[in-house]
Amino acid sequence: MAGLTLTKTDAQLWRYRKGNQFVNSSDVCRRFGLITLTACLWFYVTGVLGAGEESVVRNERPLHELIDEHIEAGWKEDNLRPAVLASDAEFLRRVFLDLTGIIPAADIARKFLDDDSPEKRARLIDRLLDSPEYSLHMARVMDVMLNERRIATIRSYNVPSSEWLDFLTSSFAENKPWDQLVLEILSTDGTDPVTGPAARFYLSRDVKPDLLTRDVGRLFLGVDLQCAQCHDDPRYVDYKQADYFGIYAFVSRLSLFHDKDTKQTLLAEKAEGNVTFTSVFTGSKGETNPRLPGGVMIPDPDLEKEQQYKVAPASGVRSVPGYSRRLQLGQQLPRRETAGFSLNIVNRLWAQMLGRGLVEPLDLRHAKNPPSHPELLSLLAQRFESLDYNIKALLRELALTRTYQRSSLLPENATTISPNRFAVAPLRALSPEQLAWSLLQASGRLSVHLKEADQRLKSEDPKYYDILRRTWKWNKEAYDRFGRDVNSVAAVFAVMPGNPEGAFSPTVDQALFLLNSDTLPVALKPDAGTLIDGLVKEQSSDDLAEVMFLSIFSRRPDEKEIAEVRDHLHDVPAEMRVEAIRQLVSGKLMSAEFRLNH
Amino acid sequence: MKRLTACNQSEHVVSRRSILAGTIGALGAGVLGQPLLSEELHARRKRLLILFQSGGASQFETWDPKPGTKTGGPFRAISTSLPGVHIGELLPHTAGIMHRLAVVRSVNTRIADHFLGHYALQSGRRVPGYPVLGSAAARLLEQPGDVLPGYVSLRRDGPKAFTDIGDAGFLGPKYEAVKIINGQPPANLVRPAAISESTESARDAIRRRSDERFLSGRSARSIQAYGNSFDQAAVLMKRRDIFDLNKEPAADRERYGDHDFGRHCLLARRLLESGINCVKVVHHDWDAHEENFHWHQQRCSEFDGTFATLINDFADRGLLEDTLIVVTGEMGRTPRINNRAGRDHWGNAWSMAMAGCGIEQGVVYGKTNEDGTSVVDGEVDLGHLFHTWLTALGLDPTGHYDIGGGENQIGTPAASAIKELLA
Repeated sequence: MAGLTLTKTDAQLWRYRKGNQFVNSSDVCRRFGLITLTACLWFYVTGVLGAGEESVVRNERPLHELIDEHIEAGWKEDNLRPAVLASDAEFLRRVFLDLTGIIPAADIARKFLDDDSPEKRARLIDRLLDSPEYSLHMARVMDVMLNERRIATIRSYNVPSSEWLDFLTSSFAENKPWDQLVLEILSTDGTDPVTGPAARFYLSRDVKPDLLTRDVGRLFLGVDLQCAQCHDDPRYVDYKQADYFGIYAFVSRLSLFHDKDTKQTLLAEKAEGNVTFTSVFTGSKGETNPRLPGGVMIPDPDLEKEQQYKVAPASGVRSVPGYSRRLQLGQQLPRRETAGFSLNIVNRLWAQMLGRGLVEPLDLRHAKNPPSHPELLSLLAQRFESLDYNIKALLRELALTRTYQRSSLLPENATTISPNRFAVAPLRALSPEQLAWSLLQASGRLSVHLKEADQRLKSEDPKYYDILRRTWKWNKEAYDRFGRDVNSVAAVFAVMPGNPEGAFSPTVDQALFLLNSDTLPVALKPDAGTLIDGLVKEQSSDDLAEVMFLSIFSRRPDEKEIAEVRDHLHDVPAEMRVEAIRQLVSGKLMSAEFRLNH
Repeated sequence: MKRLTACNQSEHVVSRRSILAGTIGALGAGVLGQPLLSEELHARRKRLLILFQSGGASQFETWDPKPGTKTGGPFRAISTSLPGVHIGELLPHTAGIMHRLAVVRSVNTRIADHFLGHYALQSGRRVPGYPVLGSAAARLLEQPGDVLPGYVSLRRDGPKAFTDIGDAGFLGPKYEAVKIINGQPPANLVRPAAISESTESARDAIRRRSDERFLSGRSARSIQAYGNSFDQAAVLMKRRDIFDLNKEPAADRERYGDHDFGRHCLLARRLLESGINCVKVVHHDWDAHEENFHWHQQRCSEFDGTFATLINDFADRGLLEDTLIVVTGEMGRTPRINNRAGRDHWGNAWSMAMAGCGIEQGVVYGKTNEDGTSVVDGEVDLGHLFHTWLTALGLDPTGHYDIGGGENQIGTPAASAIKELLA
């Protein structure tokens, strides 16, 4: 698998390149060493199979065919006519957004549209999954999914966002299996240089047991046990108060420890503290040890008094118990035997690609809220398990389906189709991050910067250029140049911290931001190599229209749209030409076609 | 009265996604062509004004004085326009308008935490995720054709801004408060000088044509909702003077008081009169862990004059009839006076007040014991208050948010409105 080889070299080359700093820093060396080790092990475990060949080798029909069968059988039952397949341009924009988080640059779009090969869609999917941009994007997606933009009450008492994103990006670059990633997130106490940044999951929630219990249930098992905190849930018979407190018991002994000297914030844990609960309805009481929903209680081992603590609690000291319930959570939860563990993640990955889950909302899977396609959901979970939780492989299969590749144009005479039939591509908002990055891409500023960075690397490091250029680390640094701009734009479009991304809900302050903030004027300065600069140099309005549409919408304009551009620029005095072009571009950037993933 | 439990069976968010389905397309495309709201129509609309005493005011120094007891502190109680009823001497002007108010002296929320209190008092729930009063009312009072934001909150900038917590919850960003901080209007209301008027309209025409083409053959809701947000922006830009306090007469500015709270209350009046349905004014710094009595002298003197002016002014202008005014903090303060002459966080026996639309005038509801350490009559929890406020606004708190076939009652099913407080 190409991604893996690169990750290995990633580590070695990075060490070579930043040699002096790194060799002296044992932490960083250890980090890279371990990543390499993990990568190698993973490589060994999964064998030399490319993601796509997996199903062939196992002599099973490809998953994407089975998915389409399930979805299309549903239409037959309902006598439903689906949308046609997406055009190349629709597919191109969508798959770039879903797998890399950014619309394609104009030249890439042109090349793809002009490619006659019948295999070009599958080839593009593979190319994108293998790109460094995939890892950068998945890290952003997972950050938002797992932390929901929460901020620790004391901001500085958290893992710096950059370290957490590095952890996630490297994880996706090596295609770390989902169970392994969850294990690392739930097991860490923040001390390990490699997995320590994963403590951001705990720290963003101030290590509060109620919040952690709820979010472990919601995000890793797909069940929101919040109401079961006070009583068995009468509406969702499968949500029991004992389930809530079973998870609670894994995290109830945790607390936050801020080391004033190193400025690091870590997790402390106690060796005692039992969990009891009382139903507010029936008054019945319970007591529980750690237990996952549907699983068995895990008894604490009997330890001699002196074994109870590795580090005993004291003022200014991080207590470490001899037996950690947190480690148990990390080891016990991410397993196929845990009810909901596989179902939750395949449902979430499905939603990432298809706009909504088979179970919706994503965190309310229970008997009275069944999946739209129960058999398909089980099949996905089963296959994901036999793929050893290979995220890339599952996303690849999803992207290959006809279901993913439907047009957003409704079939003739239809005004609406129930979204849970997956018969037409949904119109969904670009995430705040997708929007911010895509504005940079459309304006041409991203390409200009990446080209410069690329040239610099080529001249500074010609020998290892080819490899370095493909590493997540180099790319992350290159993209981070826009980190601050992206964050400030994304903040305007983000939901309140602690809420999942909801349905598209455009607000007036967002419109005002696009209309009157300096974001678009700055992006559309006619600097060398940017979109406006390129358009100004186009002699014919027809060519200009084509470049503009490829840059913004990843498609070519139709006759009417070309005529509109021609009309708009007709008779414009030379000194007004830049402004007239800017009007066209900014109008298009404010359009629904740009704002939506369709 | 029945004691309440923290969570109850219908407090379940079924679908955050689908809830907007019914409302997002409510604004017609031709919104700009219509007058904002006819005056007559607007006069009949119910409105909400929340005066939030952030940090937690002491009930002893305000609505429920206990002079001469060991918990009562140094201040006297004074008689009010309501025969037989006394309040703290720090509220002399308020004493003169007691006959217009309904005061609850028996609030027991058992919450002694700023963050939870801010959320819980406003949402009527302890479980997170629900919309606060301002957002809920904005959604429920909304009518087709409304273009201005439904909910605006006014506050000072500062580190203790616990107040903007949660807000719209599962109702989504559309019902989040538009935040006016330090009297600054929302960002980006003015077209920058670098963008000419002709550029502005050219851009707009290009955007509209692009959307028309894109709409053809596609499901309309998202595309129209996005277009509507630009229509709303255009209206707000045109009417940005609704945020401009200088447009109010100087005499009113003086009457309302030359401090943040006074200015924010006058701005609230201006916004409510301009067609914003729900406004929250945050009055800061009630969290008096030290020097409680000194602090309350200061805080009450700001609050008292402005509040009495506002109530009388709203009554004179005919606004009071249609505007529910709620005065509350996130909690009260301890009976015990600590060794720094402060009072600490306390949720077990405290007071709040309301007036206006749908509220009985001149009522004091509930009672605490002699030294104010517990409620002895008419105990009231979050849910009761929330039900009462919604009912006063002519809304049905036992109704449901319309979400994907699920049941999600607007007010907690474990509580009901307090009839004695309702007109």
